[in-house]
Amino acid sequence: MMKYMLKTVKISARQFAILVILFSVGTTILVIPGILAQEVKQDAWLAALIGTVIGLLIVALYIAIVRKFPTMTLVEIIETLLGKWVGKAVSLSFVFYSFIGASELLYYVGAFLTTQLIKETPPAAIHIIFAGILVMGVRLGLETIARSAELLFPIFILLFLLIMFSVIVTPELWKIDNLQPILKTGIKPMTRAVILFSSVFSLPLNIFLMIFPISVTKPKEAEKHFFSAIFIGGVCLFILITLTILVLGPETSSRQLYPSYTLARRLKVGDFLQRIEAILAIMWEITIFFKMTIYFYASITGLVQTLNIKDYRPLVIPLGMIMVTISLVSHPNVIHSAKFDYEIWPVYALTYGLVLPLLLLVVYIIRKLINFDKKLFVKNE
Amino acid sequence: MLGVAGTIVAAIIMIAFEIPDLRRKKLKKELWVFSFLMLFAVGLGIAHSLNWPIPNPLDGIRTVLQPFSDFIYGLLK
Repeated sequence: MMKYMLKTVKISARQFAILVILFSVGTTILVIPGILAQEVKQDAWLAALIGTVIGLLIVALYIAIVRKFPTMTLVEIIETLLGKWVGKAVSLSFVFYSFIGASELLYYVGAFLTTQLIKETPPAAIHIIFAGILVMGVRLGLETIARSAELLFPIFILLFLLIMFSVIVTPELWKIDNLQPILKTGIKPMTRAVILFSSVFSLPLNIFLMIFPISVTKPKEAEKHFFSAIFIGGVCLFILITLTILVLGPETSSRQLYPSYTLARRLKVGDFLQRIEAILAIMWEITIFFKMTIYFYASITGLVQTLNIKDYRPLVIPLGMIMVTISLVSHPNVIHSAKFDYEIWPVYALTYGLVLPLLLLVVYIIRKLINFDKKLFVKNE
Repeated sequence: MLGVAGTIVAAIIMIAFEIPDLRRKKLKKELWVFSFLMLFAVGLGIAHSLNWPIPNPLDGIRTVLQPFSDFIYGLLK
């Protein structure tokens, strides 16, 4: 019933893995170290480690669902399992979720640039320009996005290594004392920290069920790549969080809005390499662009499939315009945003990243046991 | 006023860019959805430039999820 041009778009398993890495590192790299340091002080690195393991489990859950419906996107799975009307309502709420995710990221870009780098520029200008690139990218299609991710990924890795080595070669900056005492936090703050970490790192990965497996050339290979990509992303974050705590100490890290950016400002290698915080800003712009693109792509393809439309391209521009306005009104100030990220976003991400997939799996098993719906399994074969 | 003018000009350019293509391909449903979303986008853009109060979608999400959030954080206190 739903044979769209969406299904003719194919990216390779490698490109898929790169997108997953950029997506999972995304916002986490700049915002999460501070939040983790607030919750568990010097044990933030441990929260990142546990969060990565949980990320692998969540990916396993998504793959379990995908294997039952190898030719469908998440929206189609929802409609097949929950029926037409309930399914459409849930799909629309999922579309709304990914749309809000994208506009939140647009807000982040504006907030970061106007507070740290270009302070005199009005946020609206930055939002419009960034949304412009986003709209261009999504209109050109997933293949173009994936190829540009492939192109920018080495730059990302290079800059990451540069930051890492400049910390390591300046031992006068870091103190091992900052990491001690190890494992002093209780189980409850640690659980909070892990939930907060997962809510930006691994739970939003359900967005990828709009791309994977239907838009990937070798789904079996991509499954393995999915795991290794999450592992690589987790290791990157683990290293960055540990470095931040080592250099800034838990107290300073927890007081900063963007601790890893502050870390980069402190770096000074010899007398020739200074003020490399722009490197971190570039890394962050790269990752957040792809994260935003995938959110936006998922919300548009989701909307297109719920409404049974053939082509998604005409919807890109109007939705982009709506997104600019929403991102401008969503948070009146940084405190509002931090409060939302702490109190509401984790629950929101849990609803769609964990509860919805589990619900789908349970409904699938129940329907299979009762077996009143032959259609479900015929369609699947 | 600049915002209002900007929104309208941008919308006109995009409509001129998109609608002939959609009509040529005879994509009726797309045309309807596009027009509806575009109208909504222009309305929102103008309302925002004139500083009219726009309902914040995040407040809606907060109203729905706050009890769950309180419950989870209550357990982990």
